[in-house]
Amino acid sequence: MTTKQQADAAVAPLASLSRRKLLKTALWASAGTALVVAGGFAWLRRSPVDELPAPDGLKQLSASEYHLFRRAIEVLLPTDGTLLTPVAQIPVIANIDHLMGLVEPAIREELGIALGLFDNAAVFSGLHGKRFVDLDDEAALRYFDVWSAGNTLQRTLATVVKKFVYVSYWRDPATWPPIRFDGAVSDRWGIPSLGNSPLPDESVEVTA
Amino acid sequence: MRPINMRREGVNVTQAKDVARDPSLGRQFSIQTDVVIVGSGAGGAVMAYELAKAGRKVLVLESGRYWPSAEFTENLGDTLTKVYRDQAAQANTTTDVLFLEGNCVGGSTVIGACVMQRPGDEVFQKWSDELGLKGLGPRELDKYFEQVEGWLHVHTNEAHEVNTTAHKVIQGCERMGFSWRPVQRNVKNCALTGHCLAGCPSDRKMSALVTHLPWAAAYGARIFSDTEVSRVLMRGGRATGVEAVIRDPDTGTVVSNVRVDAQVVVLAAGAIHTPLILQRSQAPDRGGNIGRNMAVQPFTQVLATFKEDLYGFQGALVGVEVDEFLKSDGFTFYSALAEPEQLMATGEQEAGDEHINFMKSFKRMAGLNAFAIDKGEGQVIWEGDHLNGRKVIKWSPSREDFERITRATSIAARIFFSAGAERVWLPTFQKMHADSVFDLDEKLARVDYGINGIYSYRMNSFTPHGTCRMGLDPYESVVSADGEVHGVSGLYVADASIFPTPVSSTPQWTVQVLSRYVADRILARAPSHFLS
Repeated sequence: MTTKQQADAAVAPLASLSRRKLLKTALWASAGTALVVAGGFAWLRRSPVDELPAPDGLKQLSASEYHLFRRAIEVLLPTDGTLLTPVAQIPVIANIDHLMGLVEPAIREELGIALGLFDNAAVFSGLHGKRFVDLDDEAALRYFDVWSAGNTLQRTLATVVKKFVYVSYWRDPATWPPIRFDGAVSDRWGIPSLGNSPLPDESVEVTA
Repeated sequence: MRPINMRREGVNVTQAKDVARDPSLGRQFSIQTDVVIVGSGAGGAVMAYELAKAGRKVLVLESGRYWPSAEFTENLGDTLTKVYRDQAAQANTTTDVLFLEGNCVGGSTVIGACVMQRPGDEVFQKWSDELGLKGLGPRELDKYFEQVEGWLHVHTNEAHEVNTTAHKVIQGCERMGFSWRPVQRNVKNCALTGHCLAGCPSDRKMSALVTHLPWAAAYGARIFSDTEVSRVLMRGGRATGVEAVIRDPDTGTVVSNVRVDAQVVVLAAGAIHTPLILQRSQAPDRGGNIGRNMAVQPFTQVLATFKEDLYGFQGALVGVEVDEFLKSDGFTFYSALAEPEQLMATGEQEAGDEHINFMKSFKRMAGLNAFAIDKGEGQVIWEGDHLNGRKVIKWSPSREDFERITRATSIAARIFFSAGAERVWLPTFQKMHADSVFDLDEKLARVDYGINGIYSYRMNSFTPHGTCRMGLDPYESVVSADGEVHGVSGLYVADASIFPTPVSSTPQWTVQVLSRYVADRILARAPSHFLS
């Protein structure tokens, strides 16, 4: 499967999630003003990773988005020492970057703000005092867990980040053998096509 | 007597690229035909075959793309993107409920799970006796059901078509004393790949792609793909054709605008898009019913992890159904476990080590899909003008729906615990699972209805219906007992939108039967519709 195909497929949940109009509806309806204000102040919080450049070749992800997803991948997919395909062998960041390029511009803009909120809200949410990208593994994992059980906005943002990461990983067939999923089998099994079903018996004057 | 030629494989379809290559057509052209059918899924394909066989000149317009079976990849992710409507992201206004449907030649019959369920006679008795739709009585429709059954190889799953996921469901039902039965499916010599939702590359699924569409084409029906109908043309209370736009499916650019002049127009674009076309066309709607009364049959997937390896994704996708609660509660449960991507869509995926363990247990998982009947209070609306507007789908669970879904989830979880599940994953937006039946109720009590039930359970819909319901009273319904839109001669509807009431069964079989029924009504009135 090509990267384009992986990315195309992953757009489905992305399109749905981004349609949630995070900032227009869920943010105001569910998060409440406090979180918004907290997010606004937190945007000023600097992180050591802000000084680090994003790798060359990224076309869509900003440097801050790259650092957010890089940290999320580390936290969400700790494949080291497991039987799973090492996350380093799967182009997860590249897939996410490609996905971003397929998102409608208006939705992409909202998504960028939402990702910034997810990163910055960690300063106040849970009183971490740090952005998500700077949390240690345990705190970052707890952040996901708390948000996954939180209000509508929190659950939605946690789901967005997880889906980006998980879809970009699990859609790659290289990840399937360790979980014993067979993938496509018809060609491998040599299953012949039956073609079109014959016309029903009521038909007359059928010629092949 | 005319000779009939049928292709061994594939269907003759005029695609956008064919139109673009034909200099005689240009950017704007018109077609004359007896009948234009909008949509090529379960309803449209049956209609095309019946009318073409009867000697009518038939043109089928399909908004989706033509995917020959040989191009199906058995990769659900690829298929969701290419073959499903809106890349499988067609959602309600709060985007917590996805409406999954095929957007291709053959429609949802191509990507369905092959489940064919005939509603109980009491449903048709009600339509006939209480609603006065005498032609829809169980005895009247019986011959149509039998015909579809024979033609589409509908059969009850045999032992080899019941996989390990299904066996866990059977085991749980036996211990609970619940009634279950093998499902009926429209498949011929199933190859047991488990990839039904991604299309059948070996043409064993009896979708419209390998049955009614090639049959219709054999009788001369023409099929256009990539062709979106913008509106129905009407003059003097009579349908005169449609306007449509042909777009390049890769770029979305307009290839041609086409006007079809027809003596009969049949809408079979499904329960979401048929009412939208009628609204764009400003069809008469005395009671304001077009697009209303949508039942969605919300479904959730309950996953369970067992101690032993099951490989529950292998074999026929759907093996058995639990029918214990069909009449009492309107629930149907189907055993099914699809691909890893499915897990990303239907449940909370955990995080970190818990996610790793969750996915490592994939081979030990089983799935049970709970479909619940709802009250039919959803709505689809076209906002804006007919060319530049947008569709809006409104459906959220009522308190009653929410409680019904909670009960269905509870039943599915109990079935799995009775079969020995170590953990049941609850289909909620909150992170939630239960490790024994004793903490199940306490966990489910934590699921909050909140505001209109949004973001409570992860619900999706494969089977909306009822948005142009059939009835005798033009103030209470959209189409007449013949399937003709009230007040517009020659404009018919033949898809799930004409269901007069919500049903709890999967609709494909009934749609095909009703389409055949409407086709007969059209042919019976041929002298008033057709010039020749």
